[in-house]
Amino acid sequence: MAELEVRNLTKRYGPTVAVDDLSFAVHAGRVTGFLGPNGAGKTTTMRALLGLLRPTRGEALVDGQPPVRMRDPLRTIGAALEATAFHPGRSGRAHLRVLASAARIPMSRVEEVLELVELSGAAGRRVGGYSLGMRQRLALAAALLGEPRTLILDEPANGLDPQGMRWLRDLLRSQAAEGRTVLVSSHVLSEVAQTADELILIRGGKLVSQTTLAEFTAAEASAVRVRAERLDELARGLGERKAMVSRYEDGALLVEGATAEEIGELALSLGIALHELAPRRSSLEERFLEVMGEEETGS
Amino acid sequence: MNLLRSEWIKLWSVRTTWAMLGIGLLAEALFAGLYVGFAPLEDIGQLEDVMTGVGLVLVLVLVLGVLVVTTEFRHGTASSTFLVTPRRWPVLMAKLAATFLVGLLAGLAFVLVNGGLALPLLSGRGGSLPSASEAASVYAGVAVSLGLVCVFGFGIGAVVRNQVGAIIAAIASLFIVSALPELLPGSIGDYFPAQAIGSMHGNEGDGSLGQVAGGFVLAAWSLGLVAIGTLLVCRRDVSE
Repeated sequence: MAELEVRNLTKRYGPTVAVDDLSFAVHAGRVTGFLGPNGAGKTTTMRALLGLLRPTRGEALVDGQPPVRMRDPLRTIGAALEATAFHPGRSGRAHLRVLASAARIPMSRVEEVLELVELSGAAGRRVGGYSLGMRQRLALAAALLGEPRTLILDEPANGLDPQGMRWLRDLLRSQAAEGRTVLVSSHVLSEVAQTADELILIRGGKLVSQTTLAEFTAAEASAVRVRAERLDELARGLGERKAMVSRYEDGALLVEGATAEEIGELALSLGIALHELAPRRSSLEERFLEVMGEEETGS
Repeated sequence: MNLLRSEWIKLWSVRTTWAMLGIGLLAEALFAGLYVGFAPLEDIGQLEDVMTGVGLVLVLVLVLGVLVVTTEFRHGTASSTFLVTPRRWPVLMAKLAATFLVGLLAGLAFVLVNGGLALPLLSGRGGSLPSASEAASVYAGVAVSLGLVCVFGFGIGAVVRNQVGAIIAAIASLFIVSALPELLPGSIGDYFPAQAIGSMHGNEGDGSLGQVAGGFVLAAWSLGLVAIGTLLVCRRDVSE
């Protein structure tokens, strides 16, 4: 059973469709990156998984059950949704005490998580005076309060400095290593690239792909940019060999599923002169934008 | 109980609560002290006159009740609240208890300030003091009415959710709508919230229900609003 599961989830706000027939599953013991541009429906999906909003259609399940049926919510699932969701006049410590007392968690645990997110010194100050990074830490502290089996973090890297980012990565990795489920959203791939084992990419409320980071990285290595004298003929030949061929704006071919060597040999056998044969060493980020962009032109 | 405790910490961990109650009691001490200390003695006929300033405390306690729920949506803390307790109605019941308690507490503090300041002043000037039983029943009515008014505000906050809108609605429903009964025939007007409060305070002018009946009427209004508000909060999405 998947720890977190979304089945045919659809959420409409009037005429706008925020999430459109989305299905995926998230498993324990690894960090799953939930990626998509702003407005892709990440936050809506996460809120549905937390029982904060009811789906128009479909369902969001935690340990196979609707989230409102959770027995011991704070020990089952911990979430950091927005770094701004605090009463500005309440101190960080008081915010955590409010949550701890509602969940029957001892106050000593509040001090523990404050220590863990390195916020002990500022815990007595009012949240209104916190920096964005401090708010992110406080949100994380709240998520970790019940030592939950599942963590849902919405854009936790926003506002963190490089040290904070490293700290966050280590934290997520260790949580996953302990066998917990970690779902972390971002609109920037590089933020999760060094942390996530698995990627869920969504756009316009729809699933673009669910893949492992290894697969995602492997796919980019085999793309080759090609220009040649009889391009159409070459493209047909590549198509027959099951390579994926698409066109750049300047007319050049983008070939996936064939190596530069294979393309060169094919061109030779067809008697076509090559003008350009360039394996693409695109960054992960470019690959990410590419996948998101493909979807855009495709729909 | 753990939810009530959580709500209690919420209330007292922001300065708003302290400030509003502090201002209310200070103003009350000032009003009552000045009036009872300097008004012509023949104008101070009954306890109602001694309690000058109760109106302001009433408004502050009402707004405090509204804030108990609207701040959660305004600042987005509703998300973490309902994350800890996904089944939402127990949270609202805890808020109901907390608002009644904090209103009652404000009421008791009011009684202490008023009884401890205005009555000795009056007796010092040689004015006629109310009988002990009269004072006790009026003060009890005031304390309980403040508890219920806080719940009333909470109910409106839960229905309206928008902070400014809810505060306006709450004040309007107590102080503007209260003019309406004069236009109505018979004793229908006695059942309006403001008139019920008047009855609870033993005012002869407005409301002739008697203290206990007035209390039941105000409780019915307050709990009715809380019931509607709870239903709405349980049904609506929390997307702030």
